[in-house]
Amino acid sequence: MSQHIARYGLLRRTSILAVASAVSVALVGCGSSSAAVAPAATAPTVSSSEYNAIIAAAPVADTSAITRGSWMESVKTRGHLQVGGSDAAQLFSLKDLETGELKGFDAGLSQMLARYITGKTDVLSLTKLTTVTVDTRETLLQNGTVDAVFATYTITPARAKKVAFAGAYYESGDAILVKKNNTSIKEVADLKGKNVATESNSTAALSLKKYAPQARLQLFQTDAECVAAVQQGRADAYVLDQGILISDASNNPAVKVVGQPFTKEPYGIGLPLNKPEAKAFVNTWLKKIYADGSWNKLWKATIGTVVSGDAPAPPTIGSADGS
Amino acid sequence: MNIVLSHFGDLLGGFWVTIELTLLGFAGSVVLGTILAVCRVVPITPLRVIGASYVEFFRNIPLLTLMFLFIFGLPDIGITYSLFASAAICLALSGAAFTCEAIRSGINTVPVGQAEAARAIGLTFTQSLRCVILPQAFRSMVQPLVNVFIGVALSSSLAAAVAVNDLTNRTQQLNLEYAEAVAAFLVAGALYLVLSLGGAGAGAWFERRLAIQR
Repeated sequence: MSQHIARYGLLRRTSILAVASAVSVALVGCGSSSAAVAPAATAPTVSSSEYNAIIAAAPVADTSAITRGSWMESVKTRGHLQVGGSDAAQLFSLKDLETGELKGFDAGLSQMLARYITGKTDVLSLTKLTTVTVDTRETLLQNGTVDAVFATYTITPARAKKVAFAGAYYESGDAILVKKNNTSIKEVADLKGKNVATESNSTAALSLKKYAPQARLQLFQTDAECVAAVQQGRADAYVLDQGILISDASNNPAVKVVGQPFTKEPYGIGLPLNKPEAKAFVNTWLKKIYADGSWNKLWKATIGTVVSGDAPAPPTIGSADGS
Repeated sequence: MNIVLSHFGDLLGGFWVTIELTLLGFAGSVVLGTILAVCRVVPITPLRVIGASYVEFFRNIPLLTLMFLFIFGLPDIGITYSLFASAAICLALSGAAFTCEAIRSGINTVPVGQAEAARAIGLTFTQSLRCVILPQAFRSMVQPLVNVFIGVALSSSLAAAVAVNDLTNRTQQLNLEYAEAVAAFLVAGALYLVLSLGGAGAGAWFERRLAIQR
């Protein structure tokens, strides 16, 4: 009986998902006559084999570094890294629907770390993803559901009381996206009194409170919804990580990115606070991939596909308040 | 917990938005649901079909999907409501399907002999519905309607996903800043409980008022 109910529940959920995805497809379909709202494949992409080669070329730890009874040893024994992250974050961690592989800057780093510990090269089996949100990240690290969180996770002193941060491994900044014909918004000061959309899982909401306290916030769940809100005039502007906005604008001619980033967001790798060896180990690994160019190559293959120019210098480890 | 308490005013602001959504959504559900229930019991086939189709459609579409369609689909055909209005309308549309069924089942609890007697003394359909059937039916509707109210109150939290600044949305914002998920959601949960219990209390009061003194 209970099995029957469980099956029924599963079927129901599947059908709800099917409806939801059908809806999102429909939305994308009718979002604009000229371009899709959702992340499309029009941006210069890096093929799976090129991407996999970058992960496979990343360094592997000496066996002496995997000390007994440590955080690293438990990952090595298990054979894969349990990662808390996203499968819908463009440029950072997006699921490739053909191969089922996660690709992006965050995803790539988690795969490199898993390779560093386990020594394996098969990208698909290196990590297992648990989708996390702002509401669940700290708790899932504390109760051991995930080994590490790679989720455009901005290092803040408040969060550092709950989890340990390795890094910063990337420094980003929030920029502004508006409709193509908008001329009134050029910088963050112009957001005063305007409706501003952002992702509910992002720290952009916090930066907006700080830099544009009189803006009216609209928190949507995904990037595509925020872009749609701007395109349909529901929001005057959309604020998020510049890389993601540039990618949106390159996929959608109805919107544009204005001005330069007005914040500095140091992203860190969330680790359990009660395993201090993990943080030191991951920081050592970060220094290695900075030095041997793996970090650089991964940046070029992910964020570098929408941001022009060379990879920036990686941020200094321990530079952010809370890391 | 201290952080949550020091931002309690902000959460209360969100709670007020949740109350507004719930009251508007529920009021809309009752008005629309009553009309639909009448449609489903009148002896006019097209109206019955319309009522039944409405209920089957809106009862079986996830509310979140409805909200997404309303908010991102309608602007494409030139209709744009504010986010708050969209959420309230969707709550009413969805709640109406459940209200309709609650009212219809209430009507069905009135023995058919009552309707026959009403007709026998010469009352028209409308008169028998208004003077004989609905007053008796309403007694057995109170608890199902309380369920609908609680359903509307709790599902109003889905509006947070479409950028309505309600209690859930503000809880998430608070958590973004201070990483206090458990404490923040405990407080939010307690506020939702207050709202639901308020609805249940009002229902119990109505039930006592309407009870037949035997």
